[in-house]
Amino acid sequence: MIGQIGRATRLKASALLYGLGFFYTVLRETVRFFRKSQVGYKVLIMQILFTGYEALAINAIMAIAIGAAINVIGSSLLPQFGQSQLMYTILIIVITRELGPLLTAFVITARSGTAIATQLGTMVVNHEIEAYMAVGLNPVSYLVVPRFIGVVVSMLVLTVYFNIFGLLGSFIVVQIVKPTPIMEYLAALMSTLTVSDVLSGLLKAFVFGVVVSVVATYQGFSVNRASTEIPVAGIKAVGLSFILIIVADVLITLVQYA
Amino acid sequence: MKFKIKFADQIVGLFIIVALAFFVAIVVLIGANQRWFAKDYAFVTAFPSATGVAPGTSIMMKGFTVGKIDKLTLNANNSVDAEFHIYDTYYDKVRDYSILELTVSPIGLGSQLLFHPGRSEIQLAEGVFIPTADSIEGQALIEQELVDIPPKDDTITRLLANVNPLLENTNKTIVTINRTLTEVNRALAGQSSGPLGDIVKDASRAAAALPGTMENVDGIVTDVQDRVAGLLDQVASLLSELETIGGNLVATTDSIRDPTGLVPKLLDPSGSIKTFLDDDNALYKRVMSIVGEIDKSMKSLQGIISGLNSEMPKVAGLLNETRTAIQQAQDVLEGVKNNPLIRGGVTERVQQESLYRAMREGSFE
Repeated sequence: MIGQIGRATRLKASALLYGLGFFYTVLRETVRFFRKSQVGYKVLIMQILFTGYEALAINAIMAIAIGAAINVIGSSLLPQFGQSQLMYTILIIVITRELGPLLTAFVITARSGTAIATQLGTMVVNHEIEAYMAVGLNPVSYLVVPRFIGVVVSMLVLTVYFNIFGLLGSFIVVQIVKPTPIMEYLAALMSTLTVSDVLSGLLKAFVFGVVVSVVATYQGFSVNRASTEIPVAGIKAVGLSFILIIVADVLITLVQYA
Repeated sequence: MKFKIKFADQIVGLFIIVALAFFVAIVVLIGANQRWFAKDYAFVTAFPSATGVAPGTSIMMKGFTVGKIDKLTLNANNSVDAEFHIYDTYYDKVRDYSILELTVSPIGLGSQLLFHPGRSEIQLAEGVFIPTADSIEGQALIEQELVDIPPKDDTITRLLANVNPLLENTNKTIVTINRTLTEVNRALAGQSSGPLGDIVKDASRAAAALPGTMENVDGIVTDVQDRVAGLLDQVASLLSELETIGGNLVATTDSIRDPTGLVPKLLDPSGSIKTFLDDDNALYKRVMSIVGEIDKSMKSLQGIISGLNSEMPKVAGLLNETRTAIQQAQDVLEGVKNNPLIRGGVTERVQQESLYRAMREGSFE
């Protein structure tokens, strides 16, 4: 019993150290990526296209729906307490600080995290990684770093779009229910919105992007030989990403408000 | 090749550039709304407490934000020094006699820092001290109506605005009472030279003249005693008359109580009723024998009545037969009367009327 616990702990610690080592390698190769000739430039562009641009539609729909719901609920509920001006504060906290980065990260995890893990896992099973190494290409530099940068950039850009659609796009929907002068809305919104709100959301987006990309690539490379390990790697990538995203969100929020 | 793949670079570039443009636009809009590039005019003030006010608290005037609190410091006199700024667009409102007013919601809805411009044409220079409404200087400005204070927005704020003067008045009243008591104490100690001291001195003089006054009062009391003595004599004669009346009442009561009176005579053991009843139950026995006779008679009468009741059918049959016999006798007599052989042989009877009937029972024909 004690031996089993000790063995499990040793394996977990070893996996954690391996993961940290992998993360360090990714960071190191990322720095090099911008110095040397852009071997993986095309991979990066395609990653941003698939992860960022193709997720824009679903991201926009979510942002508009949530923003409109907050607008409608806030404009009907808060005046009952004489706190109408709080609607903008709530809108900014929910859209910019919390739900924007979080939902974007969930969408990217569900779409791109599984895709990256599955793709890399398949490459491992097909011995493509060995082929890259055989011709002198560093698989981390060529395969992981473009995905890492692509996911992080996509997260940041999608978070900005989420803010735009959540704060302004929802205004158009609200006009159908409760018409409000746009200048009044914008003035109130911009006087409540601060740069720290925007930067807080972007910081979360950056951290979530790092988490999703590193976890997905790590899980992709954790596949050994069998093709049945590929979907398992995808599932593990999603589950672990969700957990780490929520933990990171809580930690960042605590640091900001504590 | 798919359009998206073929123009991936352009699509991604546009995707990122538009996001960056939005980001820059948002930052610029935030900066414009939060006056990053506008000039502000700094002033100072002092609060008794920093409760309800903090750096960043908006300074409102008629619903508009005209400035913000920058810094709060607790000074050596335990009051709070505050530095604040007024926006350049509202700087012309900052005139002489202007004040700040901190209102705190009693139901926990936060506080509001209001700016009230002074009624003066002189514009205040940057950095000068602006008093608060609850400071002595601020109250003096309000009492002199040198400040333009608009009516409050809501009932609670109005009530709060009314409570402060009320508290001030109460405070003033308490201070006045305290001063009065101090003055009274000093006057009683003989240290006051004011009107109260004069009153106390007069009271002292009056107390000194009290023995002479008491002699006069004694004379008056003696005179009153003499006059009251005559009245007491009259009262004594009245009392003696009342005593006589009381004696008469006693005699009347005694006569009622006399054992030879009518009622005692009747009720006396040797009285008539007692004598009448004290006959060894002779009267009782007599009465009882009479009752027994009556009982027997009643029984006999009951027997007769029951016998009559049993004989009634026979009597009815007898009466019926008698009536039939009478009719037959009448027929016989009619026949005898109409017989020509014996007609006139029988002397006609004279019909005698009954005399027991009263005359008035008959007809008047």
